[in-house]
Amino acid sequence: MALDPIFSDAVIFASLLSLLSIGLTLTYLTTRVPNFAHASFATIGVYMALVATHIWGATPYVSIPVAFVASGLVAVSLYVFILKPLIRKGASQAILMIATLAFDLILIAGLNIFADFVVQTFRIASREFTLRSYDAELAGLPMIVFVAPAAIIVLSLTLYIVLKKTKFGIAMRAATENQDLSETVGINVKRIYVVSWMLGGGLAGVAGALMALWFQGDPNLGPLMIPSIFAASIAGGFLSIYGAIAGGLLLGFTEVLGTRFLAGEFGSWLIAYRPLIPLAFIVVTLMLAPRGMAGINWSWLERRVRRHGSGD
Amino acid sequence: MVLETEAIFLIDLLAIFAIYVIVNLSLNMEFGYTGIPNFGKVLAVGAGAFVAASIPGRIFAAMAGIEGDYVLDNLAIVSQVNAWLVDNTGIGFVIFFLTLGMAAAVGGGLGILTSYPAIRMRGDYLAITLLAFGESIRIIGNNFTPLAGGTLGVQLPDPLSFLPDEIRFSVATLGLILITAAVFVFSEKMVRSPLGRLLRAVRDNEVAAESLGKDTARIRMKVIMISAALAAVGGALYAFYVGGAIAFAYDRASWTFWPFLMILIGGLANNKGVLFGTLIFVTVRKLIIFFKDSFEGLVPFDIIWLDFLLLGVILLAILLYRPQGLFVEKPTATVGGGAGRAGKGRGGAGRRLFNLLFR
Repeated sequence: MALDPIFSDAVIFASLLSLLSIGLTLTYLTTRVPNFAHASFATIGVYMALVATHIWGATPYVSIPVAFVASGLVAVSLYVFILKPLIRKGASQAILMIATLAFDLILIAGLNIFADFVVQTFRIASREFTLRSYDAELAGLPMIVFVAPAAIIVLSLTLYIVLKKTKFGIAMRAATENQDLSETVGINVKRIYVVSWMLGGGLAGVAGALMALWFQGDPNLGPLMIPSIFAASIAGGFLSIYGAIAGGLLLGFTEVLGTRFLAGEFGSWLIAYRPLIPLAFIVVTLMLAPRGMAGINWSWLERRVRRHGSGD
Repeated sequence: MVLETEAIFLIDLLAIFAIYVIVNLSLNMEFGYTGIPNFGKVLAVGAGAFVAASIPGRIFAAMAGIEGDYVLDNLAIVSQVNAWLVDNTGIGFVIFFLTLGMAAAVGGGLGILTSYPAIRMRGDYLAITLLAFGESIRIIGNNFTPLAGGTLGVQLPDPLSFLPDEIRFSVATLGLILITAAVFVFSEKMVRSPLGRLLRAVRDNEVAAESLGKDTARIRMKVIMISAALAAVGGALYAFYVGGAIAFAYDRASWTFWPFLMILIGGLANNKGVLFGTLIFVTVRKLIIFFKDSFEGLVPFDIIWLDFLLLGVILLAILLYRPQGLFVEKPTATVGGGAGRAGKGRGGAGRRLFNLLFR
């Protein structure tokens, strides 16, 4: 059975976008700073996959835990060394956003330096590379087609159990809901924030490691992906992890399949304008449902639709 | 006579300084005075440059009766236009200023359109929306070739073609400085006017401003419109100055991040700070590029990334250790100059010395 590769493309892109939006939402929930360096955390994962495959000679999947730790630690250092001191000094949200932009610039520079270093030392392509040929096969399809959605399913179940059933998860939800009140009941809010940043950055790193198996890796991926990640998160409401998953899936499929459909209708010149889809997504979300899917009153909507249906 | 290297260095530095001052004044109006975090500054600058790249050349070619596809035969058409402009200096200037006007109109319009969806939302939503739109200008410029020749770029006609080569460069810089001075005066007048005070009120206490009957969303949009128009003029001037436009030159680092760095060096809500911050940044940057070749080969990577790394670290250091910048925001003098003089009596010897030097 030959499946149109566009569907693999859509499934993988949508899953990874969800993963990235979950991470962004986790960090936003704690510090309320839109982290513009988030996409570059994923680029770190992309390079971990490159290192694992070409330098260690292992399968790219080995890089998943490594990428989680590396990107997670970078995210924690952004929080601990830059954002936390700034928050303590009473910096405005705008200043915090500028700080994440500056951090992004440093990361992009670092990744470019690393890419140049890899080329010079190991003589392997480190820009516009892909690890597709190193992927295993399953049922005639590359493994990543199954791994990416599986990662989302496993992750959402784990997050559900952790957030709803464990003491840590409940403390975490309390800390993001009301910091002062949580501190008075003895929750170590600072530690919870550090863990959130570790998780958020780490998940972005995992998304990056998986991304290298299907898409092109490049040190400058960050600025290209940032609009999509933010569009997905905003569509999900920005404050809800399940919203982030839904937003990521919706935007992922819309971006890939929508571009394909429009290119089929109007001509292939349209493909180059694909990055405008997340923009349209942001505009539509903000105009129609500014609090995202998580903010829509679904039962009210359902009643309305039903009433209109029976009115005919 | 050929210009000396030092003279070229200095004249180019002044020109780039003048262009960045326009962009930075507009950003300071938005971010410094009104508190709008516009992370999509590049959009207006790029739009201005694309207007300059696509419109005046075609008008000149049509007037001079030059045939051909403007993008495909760009080099030949622009050199013919430049030859024609030697005898039609007046028309050249009229079209030049018309282009600046068109750039301002397009920039202002885009400012309204792109901020409209998020203008009533919290600051971070507006910032994300503007950033996302800012990223789009490069995509459109790269793919829609009639605008600025896509990935190949286009050349721009030079309204100063009638001047001999030796002085054209200096006259262009002089012209840029004069336009910048006009923008500076406009910006100073604006922030000292009742509107300027209203902007700070919106920034410092939105609820209070609204309780006094001010429509803060409308004011924010007005500021975004004015400053986008100014930034577009800056972008158009940049395109005219370098004599060409290419989409990838309008990236987030050059036209959003660096302007933020410059106004933060100088101190927010402070037009004098903008001048100093821009001068310091442009000089340092120019020196880095100037001495770049001597570092080449010493490190195993492209030296440009060290430049990025350094500037990112400098900005973080400023935010952490000197968030108020070089010049702290002071009570602004009204257009008549009252409050400033009243404030002069306060403060110690340091303040007096400062006033002596900088006021």
